[in-house]
Amino acid sequence: MARERTESEEYAAPLKRLLLGVLGIFLLGVFLLWRIDSPRVERFRAEVIDRVVPGMDWVMTPVTGAINLVRDFQSYQRLAEQNQELRRELQQMKMWKEAAVQLEQENARLLDLNKVRLDPQLTHVTGVVLADSGSPFRQSLLLNVGARDGIVDGWAAMDGLGLVGRISGVGQNTARVILLTDSSSRIPIRIQPSGQAAIIMGDNTRSPPVSFLESPDLVRPGDRVVTAGDGGVFPPGLLIGQIAADPGGRLRVRLSADYERLEFLRVLRNPGVESITETGGMLVPSSRLQGPPIAAQAQTNEVKSD
Amino acid sequence: MRSKVIERARLQLWAMWSAFLLAALFLLFLSLLPLDTAPALWAGPDLLLALALAFSVRRPEYLPALLLVGVMLLADFLLQRPPGLMALLVLIGSETLKAQSTALRDQNFFMEWLSVSGILVAILLSNRVILAALLLPQAPLGLTLMQSAATICAYPALVGAAHLLVGLRKVTPAEVDGMGRRS
Repeated sequence: MARERTESEEYAAPLKRLLLGVLGIFLLGVFLLWRIDSPRVERFRAEVIDRVVPGMDWVMTPVTGAINLVRDFQSYQRLAEQNQELRRELQQMKMWKEAAVQLEQENARLLDLNKVRLDPQLTHVTGVVLADSGSPFRQSLLLNVGARDGIVDGWAAMDGLGLVGRISGVGQNTARVILLTDSSSRIPIRIQPSGQAAIIMGDNTRSPPVSFLESPDLVRPGDRVVTAGDGGVFPPGLLIGQIAADPGGRLRVRLSADYERLEFLRVLRNPGVESITETGGMLVPSSRLQGPPIAAQAQTNEVKSD
Repeated sequence: MRSKVIERARLQLWAMWSAFLLAALFLLFLSLLPLDTAPALWAGPDLLLALALAFSVRRPEYLPALLLVGVMLLADFLLQRPPGLMALLVLIGSETLKAQSTALRDQNFFMEWLSVSGILVAILLSNRVILAALLLPQAPLGLTLMQSAATICAYPALVGAAHLLVGLRKVTPAEVDGMGRRS
């Protein structure tokens, strides 16, 4: 008996080593393939997640609900304190509401005067947050809407108030949102009263820093930050947050979206920005053209845009 | 008589494989719950990694390489890590621990903890080094250090839990035959 076993072990050991070698090479291959041809592997990843995570949803939702319930319960203990706080805030809000109503009326008047039509193509799909990234190093969410609902990579995701992130990775039933706080997130922004363009770069903190700002002197804490629409990624003018300065003097964006509780997200359908590829055609025969050609071109452009 | 013993051993083996698989899926499930969507200031322990190392050092036969690779690759895909890299490093670390497990069998828990911590730090560090060499974006160093410290601290508790819940025990001398092999 013992002899038989040693023989079988003699075969088993090299076989085991062979299996280990094959496994190791396989994993190395997967990693290198991902490094070389990332989009293909990322598509595969979206596919895998699409299979696995919705299957977990039926347990995930009640567990998340229960834990949130317990957390809410803890906050009930400070009820009186919160009540006071809320009253104070309510007072302030009333003041702001008054200001907002006045501004709204003024805005309506001005819009009417200008005959401005707000972009009617901005419709949205609302999705429920299924899961988060599962690691403290990545900031992303999984939504329960996907290619089935017409979601496309690159669309903007917002909560009720502000921008949350962009779609990156779409499965049949799920889509991943890379949050603005993720360290790979780069969003072109415009800082409102001064109209300066900059980029916010996620760095895994709650308030991403502002980079590539031309003249920081023109920017004050409290300024509104909206998307710039540069590069045609996002529609312009979506609210992101407000400028804040950290103790080191670096400008950061305090995000308007409530990152503590992201439950439902709106994905904005973005039909894409029409790009103008050719210059305007000449309106006058070129033989009669007078003056330098650049001026003439500017003139025709002006005529066109009218 | 003999076949019955073998039958029972095989059943036990299957039970432990599925126990590892279930525990791993449970840990993945926990980490995917959308509870904290704001970036955390601290990083908790990587319990899946600690579980894999505990299995490989305590009972190597309960964690076949194929199962380990399957679970770690799934974790790579689900947790947005570069696929394959972490799985490969964990496989290497686990095999190293398996090779040491016979020597560690007679030592006390502290020695086991020490060698597991060594392997763990080696895995996380080489992960960083490879990512840096390939110019890939990585997590802040502070978070990684915090995570490895937390994982090392969580290891005894995890081993205790595995001992109580799954029955993951070190091989006792009674189970070893005269040749130093397990019966």
